[in-house]
Amino acid sequence: MAQDPEIPPDSFDEILAWLDPDREVAANLYVRLRADLTNIFKWKGCADPDGLTDEVFDRVGKKVHELRPTYEGDPRLYFRAVANNLIKEDFKKVRIQVSLEDLLDLPQPATSEDVDEEAVDMDECLRSCLQKLSAKNRDLIVGYYAKEKQAKIDRRSELARQLGVTVPTLRVRAFRIREGLQKCIEDCLKRQGNCE
Amino acid sequence: MKEEFMTGAFLREFLLGELADEDRERIESLYLTDDETRERVLDAEQDLIEDYLEGSLSREETERFVLRYARTFEQRQKLRITKSIKDWAVTEEGKAQTAAAPASIVRGPQSRLRLRPVLVVPIAAMIVIAIMLAIVWRNSQLKERQHLKVEQELAQLNSPASMQEIPPQMTSLELKPVTVRGIAPQTQFNPDAEFRIVELHLPWIQTERYPTYQAKISKLGDDVSFTISNLQAQDSGEYMVRIRLRVELLSKGNYQICLRGISADGVVSSCEEYKFVVNN
Repeated sequence: MAQDPEIPPDSFDEILAWLDPDREVAANLYVRLRADLTNIFKWKGCADPDGLTDEVFDRVGKKVHELRPTYEGDPRLYFRAVANNLIKEDFKKVRIQVSLEDLLDLPQPATSEDVDEEAVDMDECLRSCLQKLSAKNRDLIVGYYAKEKQAKIDRRSELARQLGVTVPTLRVRAFRIREGLQKCIEDCLKRQGNCE
Repeated sequence: MKEEFMTGAFLREFLLGELADEDRERIESLYLTDDETRERVLDAEQDLIEDYLEGSLSREETERFVLRYARTFEQRQKLRITKSIKDWAVTEEGKAQTAAAPASIVRGPQSRLRLRPVLVVPIAAMIVIAIMLAIVWRNSQLKERQHLKVEQELAQLNSPASMQEIPPQMTSLELKPVTVRGIAPQTQFNPDAEFRIVELHLPWIQTERYPTYQAKISKLGDDVSFTISNLQAQDSGEYMVRIRLRVELLSKGNYQICLRGISADGVVSSCEEYKFVVNN
């Protein structure tokens, strides 16, 4: 963010202070806001959600010094308004932008050997990460994901009943375990050199 | 107020970009500021991803989903990881059931079964059927996985960044839309070991121009088709969409491509059809 000369160097601190007076709370809100804005761009079908999120923070960074003393209400709504403007601007462009990162790091077309190799790596990473889960969590993931469509709904209700929790609680529990597993696999694949 | 409109179906429309701006903005504001709404939206997103992986989305929903969730390498990898977790869970469940079935025959009402040999034949038949079903299921899983791999490969080969590169061993083929080809013979393609990739040039003749295009490639007489999303047109004298295919994917036969434009708000155009023949 500080790379743009128009963005004051202390804008990041000011954004944090605007989000919450407690710096730790503000830092968490910042991380979450970034993820949420990226999601909003993704749901709207924008080509480069991460790049647009950076742009939102850049734009707010340029104005935060003036905004903070006078703005009333939840600052996250201001970020959303900026995001909304960006969505409109993005759609006016006929050509979808290719991010600088893409230009600098052009991916080579995958060959079927690459795809096979990646499947093997994925399998190895999955196995290695599953071993790090407790048996209880592994069982929960099997129970939660083993069925599809209507059978899945029935299974999850049954599983929630067995565990003595509500279905929404079970969903959160399964989601968290899967998120951890997903992160572990992503890191493992990165180490195997399968990520860009 | 939140409860009134935020049904699962409504949130799904939101996630697929189908809502009017007013409703979308209302949900976005709540999503950012209200924990409960955020949780519900993310829940709905999980359901949507699972439905996609299970093949439960309609064609239109799938197109919209791919535009949002399978656009970048990172997104596609997240989907692959989720799919591998689901596949593993299904396999584990299958193993547990297979292990439990003979165990119940031996450990459960074993004495009764041993005393009644008349049951052995039906039970054996059931086991054989179960094994056959498992083989059929496994084959379909493998086919599905293979299909997903090919689509991922095509998405990467046709990503905007890749399309700026000119790979070695590439040849090109000019196609004309069926509507303007008239009685002219179909374009023929003769695969040559020299070429690894063929780039098809598809002139876009509809007056409306779109930020992205989607191509569905199918072989006549074959159930399988492949879809490539997020294609972009180029205007170098002629307004056209280019798509790249690995030559080894093309076996002898008649091929059809349905090209559609996707507007910024997700509206899909009518299909522009192209055909070509692969020899040998």
